[in-house]
Amino acid sequence: MGGGKGLALGVVLVLAGLAVGAWLVTREAAPPTPSGNLEVAEALGGTEGSEGYARASSPRELRFPEEHGPHPEFRTEWWYWTGNLETADGRAFGYQLTLFRNALAPRGVERTSEWGSRQVYMGHFALSDIGEGRFHAFERFSRDALGLAGAQVRPFRVWLERWSAEGTEGAVFPMRLSAEAEGVTLALVLEAGKPPVLQGDRGLLQKSAEAGNASYYYSLTRMPTRGTVSVGGREYAVTGSSWMDREWSTRSLGAGQVGWDWFALQLSDGSELMYYQLRRRDGSADPFSAGVLVPAQGEPVRFSRDEVRIEVLDTWRSPRSGASYPARWRLSVPARQLMLDITPAQADQELSVTVRYWEGAVRLQGTRAGQPITGRGYVELTGYGDAPEQPR
Amino acid sequence: MSRRLLARASARHLGRHPWLTALSLLGIALGVAVVVSIDLASTSALRAFERSTETVAGRATHQLVGGPTGLPDALYRELRLRPGAPLAAPVVEGSVRATRGDRRPLTVLGVDPFAEAPFRPYVRGETSGAVSSLLTEPGAVLLPATTARLLGVGAGDSFEVVVGGLTRRLRVVALLTPADERTARALEGLVLMDVSTAQELLGRAGRLSRIDLKLGSEAELARLREWLPPGVEVIRPSARGGSVDQLTRAFRTNLTALSLLALVVGMFLIYNTMTFSVVQRRGQLGRLRALGVTRGELFALVLGEAALLGAVGTAAGLLLGVLLGRGLVGLVTQTLNDLYFVVSVRRLSLEPWTLAKGLGLGLGATLVAALMPAWEAARSAPVTTMRRSTLEDVARGRAPRLALLGLLVLALGGGLLALPTHALPPAYAGLFAVLLGTALLVPWTTERLALGAAGPLGAAFGLLGRMAARGVRASLSRTAVALAALMVAVATTVGVGLMVTSFRGTVVAWLEASLQADVFVSPPSLIARRGYSPFVPGLAEHLRDTPGVAASSTIRVVQVSVDGMPTDLLAVEFAQGPERPYRFKEGAPDTVWRELEAPDTLIVSEPFSYHRDVHRGDTVRLPTDRGPREFRVVGVYFDYGSDTGTVLMPRSTYARHFDDREVTGLALYAAPGQDVDVLVARVLARAGETQTLNVRPNRALREGSLEVFDRTFTITQVLRLLAIGVAFIGVLSALMALQLERAREFAVLRATGLTPGQLWGLVSLQTGLLGLLAGLFAVPLGVALAAILVYVINQRSFGWTLQLALTPEVLAQAVLLALVAAALAGLYPAWRMARANPALALREE
Repeated sequence: MGGGKGLALGVVLVLAGLAVGAWLVTREAAPPTPSGNLEVAEALGGTEGSEGYARASSPRELRFPEEHGPHPEFRTEWWYWTGNLETADGRAFGYQLTLFRNALAPRGVERTSEWGSRQVYMGHFALSDIGEGRFHAFERFSRDALGLAGAQVRPFRVWLERWSAEGTEGAVFPMRLSAEAEGVTLALVLEAGKPPVLQGDRGLLQKSAEAGNASYYYSLTRMPTRGTVSVGGREYAVTGSSWMDREWSTRSLGAGQVGWDWFALQLSDGSELMYYQLRRRDGSADPFSAGVLVPAQGEPVRFSRDEVRIEVLDTWRSPRSGASYPARWRLSVPARQLMLDITPAQADQELSVTVRYWEGAVRLQGTRAGQPITGRGYVELTGYGDAPEQPR
Repeated sequence: MSRRLLARASARHLGRHPWLTALSLLGIALGVAVVVSIDLASTSALRAFERSTETVAGRATHQLVGGPTGLPDALYRELRLRPGAPLAAPVVEGSVRATRGDRRPLTVLGVDPFAEAPFRPYVRGETSGAVSSLLTEPGAVLLPATTARLLGVGAGDSFEVVVGGLTRRLRVVALLTPADERTARALEGLVLMDVSTAQELLGRAGRLSRIDLKLGSEAELARLREWLPPGVEVIRPSARGGSVDQLTRAFRTNLTALSLLALVVGMFLIYNTMTFSVVQRRGQLGRLRALGVTRGELFALVLGEAALLGAVGTAAGLLLGVLLGRGLVGLVTQTLNDLYFVVSVRRLSLEPWTLAKGLGLGLGATLVAALMPAWEAARSAPVTTMRRSTLEDVARGRAPRLALLGLLVLALGGGLLALPTHALPPAYAGLFAVLLGTALLVPWTTERLALGAAGPLGAAFGLLGRMAARGVRASLSRTAVALAALMVAVATTVGVGLMVTSFRGTVVAWLEASLQADVFVSPPSLIARRGYSPFVPGLAEHLRDTPGVAASSTIRVVQVSVDGMPTDLLAVEFAQGPERPYRFKEGAPDTVWRELEAPDTLIVSEPFSYHRDVHRGDTVRLPTDRGPREFRVVGVYFDYGSDTGTVLMPRSTYARHFDDREVTGLALYAAPGQDVDVLVARVLARAGETQTLNVRPNRALREGSLEVFDRTFTITQVLRLLAIGVAFIGVLSALMALQLERAREFAVLRATGLTPGQLWGLVSLQTGLLGLLAGLFAVPLGVALAAILVYVINQRSFGWTLQLALTPEVLAQAVLLALVAAALAGLYPAWRMARANPALALREE
């Protein structure tokens, strides 16, 4: 039986040896733990590495129509349109179309591939279907290459694929806006309306104490608008009034500033009010907050943060993100005898895109010098949606 | 009788001859291991390719593809700017070779990060600021962690790659660590980058490999189709994976069939072991029957033993197969790389299905092989009168009937081989039928030959010689099986050996005829047999003007899809003067060359003609840059460079249909009296630093081609060696069993006065005789196998006409192999018998 035992032992040993060998050659390294995200939005609007770019440090003469075109020597820039529209039978819409330009590097490198580019465009397009209480928001990216996206003055054109703003017959105005996404389309013609309003000091708006933490900024505050809006398979002829903001800078927010609340209000007496407050981490308004009142006729009047009182009357919690946004305000400028209650046209106008924010149509009710006054406008609230995720 | 007692009897029997049991276990294990390892290696390589194709294709529902050089950038812009544009992402794909790690080929995937999100979700990783670098920094790449590990680089490091003879430096801006293991593995060997960098790296500025699409509905697809310019096609991504499967099917079938040969040899071995164990226990089995054990129980007893051996052997075989497979996967991928496409993954993936198949084959083969012996055991008479001599009489009486059956099986095999089809399975069935039929002829032939050999052996070695010959005949039931096993094993090696030499001979002759120019220049390519890498613009023209060049021809090789199969299209600008080095299977050279002047004609290679049944006068539809076009086939030429087939057209025809100015190869004819080595040096000097080129004189290219050829047959040679190994073990155990079993007979001989030396001589003579017989049998069978492999199997697999060459060395080797195996097998029994005490041996039973 010795042979039998030896055999059994031998077989067991050989099998064990083979098993160990097989295990050795097939064993896997521990599965890697996922980490991080390639956020395309990170390419847009970071605050690091501003060396090599032009800085907005002193006022300069803004010339038109040149300023409507791109300023590639600055890091970021945007063309921002918002507006309230209405059909003949009173169905209301709000829209937002924004094209952001962002430079990834201060200077280009010689490339043989046409895809090589240092400029990227991000687009946001939103439609508030106020009658239905629905909100549609879209986001799109592309690089400034192959004609996929870009900006130019002559002829005026800013575009990101099929989202674009174009001039007419060599002139910037009337300006044609068009955008479409998933069955929602916008085709509008915007007149210039009032001349451009230069924000801050002759168009230089200081955002924090540090020199160069500022942007060049001008607005067209009341642009007569007509065109069509399509949603839900139907096309609506609409008229209304738009607001265009143009801003470019290399570095704007300072340390400790987490976001801003921005109000662009068109009042029934033919005047407009723009006010923005930069919010600090503790929730207070930064002293660099400021505003401007544009009368129906005549020169705009600037005012500082001390002249404005703003009170949040209500908040809205986004079911999507859980972020809590202010949802109703009482804004008063005692020196101008102006008092306005600002109410969102609908609660949910949160853009759930790579940078989450609330941007929506609002309705106004109030008094000016004792007289009742109404109006419409747009409010932008940033830095609320991302707050819970801090620090990044 | 209790089942336990029977089981104990079995165990004791197996344990009594541990070395024999171990040898049969080894035989089964090796047989299973060879099959499993080949299967694992080839499925791993294929899976890896499919998986990386899938991963690279991402979630695209469709893809836009164009001609050989891809699609223009502008098409993507137009697509994006269309109203209702579908989700689309540009892709530039290609291969480069790493200069670090194991220098493996890497797949370059150039994408637009802004268009990626819907397609390849893994293009998200640890990458702060990575997008900026990817877009703005030439040479910036993202590496999957798996690739980074292979190359030994980390984030921030730079590494070099070689592409078409140019060295490029890449910088890792970040590592990608996908969430799941599957994706992580599929990404191994991948280098991700921006479209711009990929275009620059691969030298394809302005061109996209394809555009990935996500289409929601058939209507959307139809709208898109309407809009597409000519020459652009919409395909489903799965079409690519399928064609790879098709491309390599013949290659893989052949590997599997060769590995099955090893298992067949292993089956003979099991049959032999079980027969031996039954014959040896005939007394015991008879007594068991007398004690009341039923036939069924005896049948089960023997099958149970076989199942135990089978289970242990198969388990060992599976494990050994995994080990072997790990080694073979490198060989398989190397061959695939040489022949078909670039696979960078060299990891073994354990497919449960492969392991299950191995298990089934191992156990099944053991049980099938044990059926006959078990049946014989069940037939044991209840008394012990079933003597050896009776058994052998039965065996001898059965021999002629077996031989007849063998002839029938041979005829069946012949019929299968003659079937007019291109399918491989009937050919292999025929091959196995020929093996089996010949094996069945062995007992009768052996009996006759042994009878005939008694005289001459007697004359040469006297009494011992006659005894050796008679002994073979007297124990026919065992010797025949051992002989058949040895014959099949040796014949297999002869057949495969002859096939490879025939193949090689044909290729040598073809290279001789087709390599007419003196110097060949091409940028290095990742697939050894294909040259897709182009010269940098202008360099080819510059080199053609080298002083000392009398004439030159250029070639452009591109891949196009013909009926969904990737096919090489060769555009040749023929040299003025020298005779064109092509031989035709269909069409007379003068006619073919004249007809090829027409703008819509081409010639196809023999495999193309064979596989797709396209002949002179037929038409072939090619996707050109002007849309699909019909081309008339005016000739079929011999070509052993590609088994998928190639189509060839003059450069002028190509230029008419394709917007492509590139050149991938150059053949230079030296002026009379021009020294070729000087010319090579001159060409190299002219190329300078612009691009690393392979500049090879005629002789070197021929040698290089044969080197690739030999490399692609390495795995075949490895299989052949493994089959020889299994055969060797089989013969060792069969002959050893035979001789050990005759212990008593030898003891009688010793007792009657045979000296140990004489006994040793007797055993050696007998095993030597068996070896010689096996070797002799193996020669005709081997030649027959080679003929089947060359004329039927290779023709059907690859479409090549090969010349069978009978090399005497291979045949002599076979006989020698059989003799050596037999002689070795006789050593131990002879030694043991010679030392054994006759009295003890006589008492044993």
